[in-house]
Amino acid sequence: MVDFGILLQIVFWGVYAGCIYILLATGLNLIFGVMKVVNFAHGEFLMIGAYITATIFFITGINPYAIILLSMLALIAIGAVVERLCFRPILGTGKLNEIFLSIGLIYIIQNSAAVIWGDEWQSIKSPYEGVSIPIGSLNVPLDYIIIMVVTAGILVGLWLFLKRTKIGREMRATSQNRKGAMLVGINVERMDIISFGIGCALAAAAGTLWVVSGQVFNPYMGSIPAIKAFAIIILGGLGSIPGAIVGGLLYGIAENGAAYYFGGIWKDAVSFILLIIVLVIRPTGLFGESGE
Amino acid sequence: MDLYLKRDALVRYGTPALIGIAVIAPFLSGNLYLLNILTLMLIFIIFSSAWNLLAYSGQGSLGHAAFFGIGAYASTLIAAKSGISPYVTIFLGAAVAAFIGILIGLTCVRLKEWFLAMVTFGFAIIVQTITVSLLTPISGGWDGIASPRLLSPDIAGYQLIEYYSILVITIACILFIYAIMKSRIGLAFCAIRENEIEARAAGIDPVRFRLVSFAISAYLAGIAGALEIHHIGYVTPEIFGVDLSFWPVTYVIFGGLGTLAGPIVGTIALTIIWDGLKMLGLTFGRYIIIGVLLILVIVFLPKGLVDLPNEIQRRWNARREKRMKADTATLKE
Repeated sequence: MVDFGILLQIVFWGVYAGCIYILLATGLNLIFGVMKVVNFAHGEFLMIGAYITATIFFITGINPYAIILLSMLALIAIGAVVERLCFRPILGTGKLNEIFLSIGLIYIIQNSAAVIWGDEWQSIKSPYEGVSIPIGSLNVPLDYIIIMVVTAGILVGLWLFLKRTKIGREMRATSQNRKGAMLVGINVERMDIISFGIGCALAAAAGTLWVVSGQVFNPYMGSIPAIKAFAIIILGGLGSIPGAIVGGLLYGIAENGAAYYFGGIWKDAVSFILLIIVLVIRPTGLFGESGE
Repeated sequence: MDLYLKRDALVRYGTPALIGIAVIAPFLSGNLYLLNILTLMLIFIIFSSAWNLLAYSGQGSLGHAAFFGIGAYASTLIAAKSGISPYVTIFLGAAVAAFIGILIGLTCVRLKEWFLAMVTFGFAIIVQTITVSLLTPISGGWDGIASPRLLSPDIAGYQLIEYYSILVITIACILFIYAIMKSRIGLAFCAIRENEIEARAAGIDPVRFRLVSFAISAYLAGIAGALEIHHIGYVTPEIFGVDLSFWPVTYVIFGGLGTLAGPIVGTIALTIIWDGLKMLGLTFGRYIIIGVLLILVIVFLPKGLVDLPNEIQRRWNARREKRMKADTATLKE
């Protein structure tokens, strides 16, 4: 028997978990769209965002949701440096090289974080802990609602940026046709840096939300969410941001459903089983055209 | 096409020298701590060579810990249940790894490079999950199980015998890989890696050869995993972790992707750096340094350490040419 209340609860958890995946996957999609680069170290930026949030919170004690902008700004800077020093020199030398470079980045970033902040699991308490709002038969924690609203706000902001600003248009042009963009006088390397920075900022936002909702974090937390975000963009279509949103939500729900029905240990495995099934049926991904 | 298998002077004199050093190394080091490091280094040479063979056919796996671990668990269980010597069961355990490798390969062969990386990464996690959930009754869950030792610790100097036996197995594995790279199979791997459509046109079935490379690579990785576990005497599901999947990649990229010597050179160099840094008391710092070195190698030495002599010569020639040009220019004036 499937209890409707429990099902609703699972869907709600899934949507909340999905928010973090959506932010990660959207960032990856942006980077992939413009640079055609596969950055497996993307989760490490989520982790840095988480630690920046926690550190500022421990020092100042201000409302952690307010820190989200700061952590995004910090990650834009870090992302720009990483792009310039690591990814630009190897651009166009093959997908495998990018994966190998990401492994180097993972080593560096994870362990730098471990040196700075220690490698124990930590967590912070949200100011709204224990506050929940009844919606129908459900008691929804206020944190979850804020996180969904913030995610939606960021996505709308990104959409406006891409559609309405000059830089956004240039970025879209670069992602559609790099050589064409160069021909009409767009500085594609500048677009690379900007898209990488924004992608990292989205990861930082995901990190902040991760921490604020009271989930534990340590320097090694980022790898699995990042790989899942990759799975999501494979499912949702490379470079398609609506695909990333739908994929992220589905993933969050599937994962939480599996955790509920098979036990928490299956949470990670189920998402990969899903990915493998999809890739066996369609080697280019669900909505993928020829892709890269 | 460059097959990276040229026998130049470095290889002709380097190989016997390396084997010579490996034979006398235990006596040079003279303590058991270093002997243990050397033994593990040999095991990782097998492991990274196995990964390298898969990459040789154009497939970069991020989940080779799955095969390493399956070999280890299978060999442990066979040896523990039947009482057969681990020296026999490592090959049986590796066969299990190869079988799973073919199954995983079947889902991977049609995928593009980084989809494949993702799927193999996912497989390592799935295998780990299955080990600690469905297979707990025989695998011992997260606590792991004791593994029969290669040799009983009662035998005098058993560490030394272990080291030499593993050295023999390592050399055998390397020779096996060399034979494959030299054979028509190796040629087919190269052809698929360089251009799949042309390979197909030449009558090579990419799917079949990719599966072959998956099976061989998984088999050798299984041998390495079984050796390590029988050497240590204990196996836990941590063996399927990301760390063990990334190590062979790091070793191979450092040494030189797609070359026979690359994994060997890379493993030796990084082991020296790694354990040297450990003696200096670094913990997280070691990973940071390895990461920086890895990125430097990828950016400035794309063919790895084995290419260093050539690279230096190229740079030197380029500089000399430049100087000669400058000289002739001044002469003309």
